[in-house]
Amino acid sequence: MSRRDVRRPDHLPNLRPGRQPPEPDWLPRQRRGVTPQMIGRYPDYDVFAAEASWDEETRSVVKQRLSAHGPLRFFTHEEEPALRAFCDVTTAQDAEPRIPLAEMVDAKFADGKLDGYRYDDMPEDGETWRRVLRGLDEQARTAGADGFAALPVVEQEQMIEAFAHGELSGGAFEELNVTRAWSVCMRAILSEFYSHPWAWNEIGFGGPAYPRGYMRLGQGVEVLEPFERPGATDRDPARETGDAA
Amino acid sequence: MKLTRLLKGSVGPRANDSRFLLDVHTRAIPGRTRMRHYSDGEEVDLVIVGAGAGGSVLAQRLARRGWKIVILEAGPFWDPDADWVSDEAGSHQLYWTEPRVIGGEDPIELGKNNSGRGVGGSMVHYAGYAPRFHPSDFATRTRDGVGADWPISYDALKPHYDEVERELPVAGQDWPWGDPHSYPHSPHPITGAAARIWQGARELDIAMRVGPVAIVNGTFGNRPHCIYRGYCLQGCKVNAKGSPYVSHLPDALEHGVEVRAQSMAAAVEIDDPSGRATGVRYISEGSDEHRVQRARAVAVCGYSIETPRLLLQSTSRRHPDGLGNGSDQVGRYVMVQGASQSAGRFPEEVRMYKAPPPEVSSEQYYETDERRGFARGFSIQTVSPLPIGWAEHVLADGHWGRALREYMRDYNHWATVGVLNELLPHPDNRVTLADEKDRWGLPVARMDYNLSDNDKRNMAYSTQVIKDILRAAGAQDVLTIQRFAHLVGGARMGTSADESVVDADHRVWGTPNVYLCDGSVCPTQGSANPALTIMALASRLADRLSTGAAVGGAADHRSVAA
Repeated sequence: MSRRDVRRPDHLPNLRPGRQPPEPDWLPRQRRGVTPQMIGRYPDYDVFAAEASWDEETRSVVKQRLSAHGPLRFFTHEEEPALRAFCDVTTAQDAEPRIPLAEMVDAKFADGKLDGYRYDDMPEDGETWRRVLRGLDEQARTAGADGFAALPVVEQEQMIEAFAHGELSGGAFEELNVTRAWSVCMRAILSEFYSHPWAWNEIGFGGPAYPRGYMRLGQGVEVLEPFERPGATDRDPARETGDAA
Repeated sequence: MKLTRLLKGSVGPRANDSRFLLDVHTRAIPGRTRMRHYSDGEEVDLVIVGAGAGGSVLAQRLARRGWKIVILEAGPFWDPDADWVSDEAGSHQLYWTEPRVIGGEDPIELGKNNSGRGVGGSMVHYAGYAPRFHPSDFATRTRDGVGADWPISYDALKPHYDEVERELPVAGQDWPWGDPHSYPHSPHPITGAAARIWQGARELDIAMRVGPVAIVNGTFGNRPHCIYRGYCLQGCKVNAKGSPYVSHLPDALEHGVEVRAQSMAAAVEIDDPSGRATGVRYISEGSDEHRVQRARAVAVCGYSIETPRLLLQSTSRRHPDGLGNGSDQVGRYVMVQGASQSAGRFPEEVRMYKAPPPEVSSEQYYETDERRGFARGFSIQTVSPLPIGWAEHVLADGHWGRALREYMRDYNHWATVGVLNELLPHPDNRVTLADEKDRWGLPVARMDYNLSDNDKRNMAYSTQVIKDILRAAGAQDVLTIQRFAHLVGGARMGTSADESVVDADHRVWGTPNVYLCDGSVCPTQGSANPALTIMALASRLADRLSTGAAVGGAADHRSVAA
């Protein structure tokens, strides 16, 4: 495994050919908190370590996300495979443990949660999702597969890249403003994914902070709160402390 | 040493005891348990629609002068301890998420971006920036040849700015821009993220100052010091951030105001023969029954979308096209501010989630500079998105999948700075009624928006300035998102009924006793966050109403040339 110095920005997609990141094998293996696919930059960090300092209302809202489960209530059996594949590809969840994104997005629409606006040339957000999933399946069948979920990941990614650029057409996509449909879908996906505490572990976010607050507002690893953990560097803390536990 | 400096942090407002009427150990307004209740049939002095920045200040002021007041609020009466959470997604209920339609060439996203719901209004989830408008904002037509002149000047608002700043209270460094002034509370400490951005600005000779934020620095009655937890946009569970909920409603309730929550206004009732408003028709949450609260006067304070919507819904024989809409002005000149944000990547962890997102700002570019190639200007303010906001930022730069996850994992290395552009008022930027109906059977609002060339040039120029600041600060990579924030206009004040909806005393043209008191009356918006100005306008209107200056007698309230 190659080691990187995170002070340098070499891993950032904008600074790399094709705007793609390196393979995640440079990331340290997660030792403490759960992260999606057990990769992250904060191997010794678990947001739940500070759980005792959270207020009860917040704890209950956050912990509820750990138990998101099926069966799906809004999306149909026919829509489910494309939904799962779409959620996986757009967030690069290619292995367990996965944040249960399909279940979370499904719950949003099943519970009738609205965002407060609808573009005049678009249907309700839930209907937009249905048309997108139908459209992806149609495109995949044109390419000879059983549906979007049956395509090889590389081809799924190509199709999503075209979607992100508003370049899908035909079938259900003719009934949508494709650029806006992308924004509607991703808004739901990202707000669910980054509400999940596993994602906070992956990115080293401090999480709920009431009534505790923060006292150390400076910059650099020397001013972390006691429960925060520094990001991974090219040093191996286990080797340096000689304590593998 | 100046006396004001010596007394910083220890001078409170003159006629507002809200800070003492809160409890040290709980966040809810204790006075709610003994709140006065009026019956629908009892004619109160004033019924107010909307318990936000405008309605709450107006109620607090007039209640102290003996007015009997009911506030109808569509959303809930919050108990911050039980209802608010230290969590981004869990704060969805704070936004106006009822159906609305957006259109035009540049549709504006609503919801969590700019609309509030519930007692306290959108100030419950605003960041906390509380700058004043500049004197130039009140005469952009005369000075700059764009926008509109207000029928009132900065001087009319100045004493109210002073007072509201003491009530919120506002913390910040001495302010060098606009009308130079000081703040009642000292500037807050800043984070490493904000310090980085300030350093970049200094490299480019851009002056910045800490604040102004409506966040307690010290203790303020029974309101505690800020704890720097960074969740200002999710509702302040600490009671440190100022909003009408903590700064005006405790005092209002103590002086007999009833806040009737979960009451959706459906129409202002007009007595056709006399032209007087007799009250407000409303629907209680969970009921289909239309009720009418009777009142001697009505103040609509529902903000730039709901206020025009309610006026347009309030049709009568005398006002067939909606109240105050005789000249087809209701809903026009609605405005948002350009609010692009750029994030810069630094070698060290700066962890921008700590401390309030509003920290350091600049109004150096506020007024017109012809060399820049557009009229009016913009302000620069640090912000700090939490993870969901950061994900939207990364997506806007074109990343999804593995690239998105990579940028997200890098979160702690990023600091963010944004702009607020003064976008100009335009008659076709408008709130109207859509064909679609909401769950009460009321037509939903539709908002159309188009950017002008001046708007686009302003946005492009300012976005380059914040990118330059980040580069000058040593950023290794820069991501930018184009977005919009805030709302004002839609029922502007003016000097004639032909080109405005209300007069200089906020009274709807053609009515003797209907007032609008929220951001919708602003003819221009400057590049300042609107909350403080909305409160100052309400404070001034209360003065005008209580001294009788703004109380109309005749039903035919004609245009008055300035």
